Amino acid sequence: MSEFRHLDTTEPAQMGTVAEAVVRLSTFSERQILDLVSGGQLGELFPFRPKAQTLPPDSVAEEDLEEASTLPMTRDQKAALIQSSMPSSSASVRNNRLADALAWQEEVLRSADEDSHR
Amino acid sequence: MASSPPRRFARRAPSKVNPDRFVDIRVTDMTAGDALWWDRKFGPHHARDRKRADRFWAWSVLLPMCHLVQLAKRRFCRPLVIWTRADNRRFVRAGMSILIDDYPHLDITDPSQSNFLWFISAGDSAVLTKELEVSDPPSLGRVLLDCAVVLSENSGFGGRIGLHAARQGGQRLLDFYVKCGLANLSQGTDLPPLVTRKNDGRFFYAGVSAAARLAALLDPDR
Repeated sequence: MSEFRHLDTTEPAQMGTVAEAVVRLSTFSERQILDLVSGGQLGELFPFRPKAQTLPPDSVAEEDLEEASTLPMTRDQKAALIQSSMPSSSASVRNNRLADALAWQEEVLRSADEDSHR
Repeated sequence: MASSPPRRFARRAPSKVNPDRFVDIRVTDMTAGDALWWDRKFGPHHARDRKRADRFWAWSVLLPMCHLVQLAKRRFCRPLVIWTRADNRRFVRAGMSILIDDYPHLDITDPSQSNFLWFISAGDSAVLTKELEVSDPPSLGRVLLDCAVVLSENSGFGGRIGLHAARQGGQRLLDFYVKCGLANLSQGTDLPPLVTRKNDGRFFYAGVSAAARLAALLDPDR
């Protein structure tokens, strides 16, 4: 699959394709993924890019920066971090980021489980 | 005996222009917006630099991919952004990293868990200076390693970290990690079974002692 598509997390077919790509990638070692990404093959491995989003400002005032904690994260904090990492393209999608992220997680984990039982 | 408080991330780094001078930095968790911004601002410049191991790294794609791949492996990624102070006193993004929490320690003579630094990148100094008004860009190599050490220590992994130096970084990258005090696992040395079967000689790690030395170096800057 070489097509580099825009990712739409509201589109079930695309979520399925993402899950497939993730399950395939999860059979690779971290070293293999690093090598492939550094060789410019990210588009073939994970053939999506987020839809156009508003770019955040170049600079931020110190008081607006929320410094990262150095302590281990709770389950909820991890879920929120993953949620904030997922691409979104519209206000409605942004409002549903948590649902999207959790749906992705469930889909990926379900596919991984199915794969391990094959 | 009172236990010592958890280490913080470094809050200043040596200037690239004058290593005797220090520049304010801050560390935040990475969001999709940070990754997109990085791709737009630094991506085109980095892509033109053939010496950079990260020239093809599209962070806005890497970020969700890394999270999802590690979720499938029942692990968790911790992506961070390092910000530096610009001439207008505000902060701009200057470094990015994605590490994997609770990863097998690479040194099989010390079977334990560690943090694995999967992707690290420091923004091009010329872009910081010319386009983002940072006349004093920070040197971030050691800071990027230190973030992983601090998180590992606070997670109970004794500061142990591991990484693989991307082939595209050549000898320069290997020399840098040696200079930072990381130990190299020479080609053919066995790795933990869950990591990979093939060791190409570009894996590095810090055990408890080396990690303590690394962290102590930056303690005055936390």
